[in-house]
Amino acid sequence: MLKNIRYLLSLGALTFSVSTFALTLNGTVTNYDGDPIFEAVITAVGSIKTKSSQTTSPRKMDQKNREFVSHILAVQVGESVVFPNSDNIQHHIYSFSPANSFEIQLYKDISPKPITFDKAGIVVLGCNIHDWMVGYVYVTDAPYFAQTNEKGEWSLNLPADDYTLTLWHPNLDTPNNVLVQQIKLTTEKPVPIEHKITLKTTSRTGKPPTDDNQNSLYQ
Amino acid sequence: MNNKTSSGIFFIVLLCIITPPLFAENFHGIQAHGLADFRYIRTDSDNQNNTDFSKFSEGGANRDLFHVNEAALTLQGRLGWSWTGSITAKYGHNAKNPVDISEAVLFFKPVSTSPWRVNARLGSFYAPISLENTSTAWTSPYTLTSSAINSWVGEELKTFGGEATVGYHLENGDHVDFFGAGFGNNDTAGTLLAFRGWRMHDYEATILDGFKLPNPAHIQSIFTRQSLTTQPFAEVDGRAGYYAGFNLERPDAVKFRTLYYDNRANPTVVENGQYGWHTRFVSAGLKVILPFQLTLIEQSMLGNTQMGGLVGNHAAIDVNFWAHSLLLSKKIIEGHRISVRYDIFGTHKNDEIVQNPNAENSHAWTANYNWTLFTHHQFNFEVTTSTSDVTARTLQTINPSQHETLWQIGYRVFF
Repeated sequence: MLKNIRYLLSLGALTFSVSTFALTLNGTVTNYDGDPIFEAVITAVGSIKTKSSQTTSPRKMDQKNREFVSHILAVQVGESVVFPNSDNIQHHIYSFSPANSFEIQLYKDISPKPITFDKAGIVVLGCNIHDWMVGYVYVTDAPYFAQTNEKGEWSLNLPADDYTLTLWHPNLDTPNNVLVQQIKLTTEKPVPIEHKITLKTTSRTGKPPTDDNQNSLYQ
Repeated sequence: MNNKTSSGIFFIVLLCIITPPLFAENFHGIQAHGLADFRYIRTDSDNQNNTDFSKFSEGGANRDLFHVNEAALTLQGRLGWSWTGSITAKYGHNAKNPVDISEAVLFFKPVSTSPWRVNARLGSFYAPISLENTSTAWTSPYTLTSSAINSWVGEELKTFGGEATVGYHLENGDHVDFFGAGFGNNDTAGTLLAFRGWRMHDYEATILDGFKLPNPAHIQSIFTRQSLTTQPFAEVDGRAGYYAGFNLERPDAVKFRTLYYDNRANPTVVENGQYGWHTRFVSAGLKVILPFQLTLIEQSMLGNTQMGGLVGNHAAIDVNFWAHSLLLSKKIIEGHRISVRYDIFGTHKNDEIVQNPNAENSHAWTANYNWTLFTHHQFNFEVTTSTSDVTARTLQTINPSQHETLWQIGYRVFF
């Protein structure tokens, strides 16, 4: 997991063609109690048109202990995601989101074909067998993006420019679950950005029911 | 050790022998779940042989009792990507048969890549009424004793037929579902409510079950063709019943469900001692997750049941029934849950046969603390206290108003 996050955090620097000197913009996302928010998505769009390149190997969203791992995965438009199944049971993943609707049957130890996400938008994933499972693929056309790690930290390597910075989390208690701000990066070392946010009190966790011994056939 | 306890222990031993191989996951795609439920019970109820007008199933000679309350085994298997089969066999302390089937259902749920969802159930299963009985073998994670409504659902209602649901889902998880079902074998539903009144317990009838009626000599002196054992799942008139309703849900936050039920039984038909009881009701339930992770569940039911030909302006038995329950539950720390429920319920007599009194006004409190260890072991400490006014008690020359208390210590093993 940590490896994936590191990979994500370095994505902007490694895979995008950066025409000018890159500055490292750091930030944190926490709630008002200071608890870190994990897997929040940060995107940055500058005034200079930047052509982004995608990763060549597909990204991964696993099924472990009847949960999506990651719960939230940010990808670039056109990138592919593979959905392996680390559980001993079958999963039947689907999405009816306008951005990308699909369904895929997951057997244990059989690697399914990757799904390509070619439209920007939020793809909500469910499992037809395990109703509580919910996952999100955030498909962005922004040239720079990152996700917070378990400490709520994120980092982007950006050239100096004016940026529209967007923070998204499915449980963020704002319209469309986003916060948008304008920032200006000059050649000086940027000041870290601290987001303090409020999450919805009732939200789907995507985790199995806390009352064990539940029978999913009783609706 | 009496025969019933021996049967229970035998069934548990049998479970211990046959289930371990099934634990091997993907054993022909079948998963095994179940429970064994041991109880110590102490009550001041005078219920004799479970045929009294008591609000509880135990009492009389069994005031102080240790027993195997229930043992159940559910086998669930996926029959392709859209079909699931599930069958539950159980031993129940108050069951007519040592082991019997309580549910057998085929569940059809095709995947959808649009906001519309369709699913269906076929077989014998519970109508979607209870918001509390969601655990293995229709047990509740909140209390041992079911609410008055859910106790009756467990006793006399089961769908033998098919149910179809059409739902519309939003991306945030909110959904509305419309469902309808056609069923048979539920023509005697209402018998117990009219002849005995509401009761609070955790017994769910099995397919071939039967219940002895209270005060049998008196019932047979009026209704000579009525068997003294009611079969809860009998078809006497060949006429299908139906229910239809809808469900509104925001997952992990709020759920509202309502349905209208009509078994369309012909009240003048009697077959093998089983009358058709024309039973209709409206059921509604609300489950809300409140701040501080407090769970609130409210259920209500209003209905009417009729049996026999016209006597004056009404069927020979014509009884309105109603019940409400309100439960508050909180998981105080992981593994520890406290729950409190208030039940208020009653029946109103419309018919004109004065020799058959069947009016009731009752209420009850239930408080439960349960402690779950290592997911599978659950200890329950529970008290239920009921104050009831049942006019039929006058037939037994006892005070129609009774106060009864039931203490229970339960140990349940889920697997």
